[in-house]
Amino acid sequence: MSPPERHPPSLDEVAPRVYEELRRLAAAYIRHEHPGQTLQPTALVHEAYLRLVGAGTPWTDHRHFVGIAARSMRQILVERARARGAQKRWGGLDRVSLNETLQAAVEEDAMLPALDEALARLEEIDPEQVKIIELRYFVGLSVEEASDALGISPATLKRRWALARAWLFRELSGGELSGGN
Amino acid sequence: MPAETWSQVRDVFERALEQDPADPERWLAAAACTEGVRAEVASLLRYHARAGRFLGEPVAARVPDLLDEQASLKPGQSIGSYVIVRELGSGGMGRVYLASDQRLKRLVAIKALLPRLTTHPSSRERFRREAQAAAALTHSGICTVYALEEVNDDLYIVTEYVEGRTLREDINSGTRPSPALLRETAQELASALAAAHSRGIIHRDLKPENVLRAVDGHIKILDFGVAHIEDDSGRGPRPRMTQPGLLLGTPAYMAPEQLNGEPADARADIFALGVLLNEYACGSHRFEAATPIAMMSRILGKDVPPVAGRLGHVAPDVADVIERCLQKNPGDRWPSAAAIVGSLQSHAAVATPPSRWWRMHQLAVLVLYVGASVVAWGVKEALETPASRWLFVGVGIGAALAGIVRGHLVFTQWMNPRRLVDERRRTAVVTLAGDLWIGVCLAVSGLLLVPVRPLYAVLTIALAIGVALARVLMEPATTVAALGRR
Repeated sequence: MSPPERHPPSLDEVAPRVYEELRRLAAAYIRHEHPGQTLQPTALVHEAYLRLVGAGTPWTDHRHFVGIAARSMRQILVERARARGAQKRWGGLDRVSLNETLQAAVEEDAMLPALDEALARLEEIDPEQVKIIELRYFVGLSVEEASDALGISPATLKRRWALARAWLFRELSGGELSGGN
Repeated sequence: MPAETWSQVRDVFERALEQDPADPERWLAAAACTEGVRAEVASLLRYHARAGRFLGEPVAARVPDLLDEQASLKPGQSIGSYVIVRELGSGGMGRVYLASDQRLKRLVAIKALLPRLTTHPSSRERFRREAQAAAALTHSGICTVYALEEVNDDLYIVTEYVEGRTLREDINSGTRPSPALLRETAQELASALAAAHSRGIIHRDLKPENVLRAVDGHIKILDFGVAHIEDDSGRGPRPRMTQPGLLLGTPAYMAPEQLNGEPADARADIFALGVLLNEYACGSHRFEAATPIAMMSRILGKDVPPVAGRLGHVAPDVADVIERCLQKNPGDRWPSAAAIVGSLQSHAAVATPPSRWWRMHQLAVLVLYVGASVVAWGVKEALETPASRWLFVGVGIGAALAGIVRGHLVFTQWMNPRRLVDERRRTAVVTLAGDLWIGVCLAVSGLLLVPVRPLYAVLTIALAIGVALARVLMEPATTVAALGRR
């Protein structure tokens, strides 16, 4: 266990540790799967935080940690989806099925690798948008929690969340809707 | 898109959402911005209107499903010419399904290999080679490999479908096999291993989960030849250390040399067979320990756990087979699975309960003893001489002695059949001497009776000869017939 440091750890320094911890927790969860018990990533992230804090990591603030954890969660889930070979079976967004309330989960899982690539493109335009998606979609934070983590108002977060979704939806639809601009 | 343009797009988009105009197009036309920004916002607003529940449900809610490495196939789904019927279970290599082969109209088992096992071209190639070798194995104790299918880059091993229970289920159910069933299981497993080893195919991952008892009562070993393709080293399953203290996979059935990372040969299977049989016989693992590390150290350790008591109820020859399988040094184990089969077979005849004929012979001889005593008493009554009295006493003592010994043998055969051979050997002198003594006493009685009652005298002498011949000629014959040896 390293002694507490004065300066906050850089993202590059701690990200691999957060990632490893989350992976380990997720794997442990899968191995000791209890029927009927669903594990939420928010709980997973919280547990990882407690463990790393307990291990003497000098986290300056919880927000900082949640941001890194959300990125790790995205990586883990996308990697798994890729390992499952989900991408090759994904036929693209089906505009009809997308609006159906019960969209097949399988379909959405298969979308993850493509979503990940779209997020990488969005990152170049507006990194905050990507963070919003990571916090809301990959970790499942509420509007209030996510806005707190990003230091913006809930109302602003809601609007930017809508923008990110619209942008990604267009990106994954592979082009303009008919009657476009 | 330049950064300022994007921030303008974002601002206009946000204002549009904030003000929520009744007619967005007119609102947008009036907005103060460049044409490019206006067009982009118009496009994004259109997608926003249609996005519905897109990304609305956090993927987070399905994390357990997502972390599961392999999506499961649903009934009715097709893999090549096979149609999935239902999932049978999942193991370390992937999920297993019951499927119906549309071409040959039969049920098969399909193992969908985990994508991570087959991503590397070299591991795919090894799966192909091993499946080829395993497909060449045809033995009643080995689940036959039918095909290796490659569909959409995924690998599927298609095998015979065997309905039954795994030995793991039997062990967990808490019922222990009878000595006869244990012996039969040991013999079937060893003979299946011998068949594979003779073709150079080693299982490397033999464990109760990989052994099925089919509904017909016979055993089938699953995953021959392919179970060990886990990594690119070609050395088969090894305890995997992902980080200090975290051990994945169980070393429970690995031979010491496997744990040491040395190449394992057929004798590693023999070690695993020993661990498996021991567990099947006793219900508990021979190297049981609180943690995988502790278990490994017990497998590797020089001290063999004290087990004499544990296998006490197992036939000595089967216990010997298990002990010799469990030797730490491969050179000290059985040289081959075939040798185990041979050893079990040579003892099998001894240990199987002797046929009714042996028991009937014993009972018939006991009746003869009673008859001999009655006849000797008759002679004594007829002659009333001291000699005839002593001869009666002689027959009585002989009959009592030999009768008790024969009663003991019948009882042994009933209660503890595997002791019978030793007991027979130990008491053979008594029965032989007893029978000959009875025969001689009766014969002398018969001779003494000749002047008085010639007919009874002849019958008495005949009985004397009968008792002696029964022991000298008939008993060896019935014993060989029943027990396979004298």
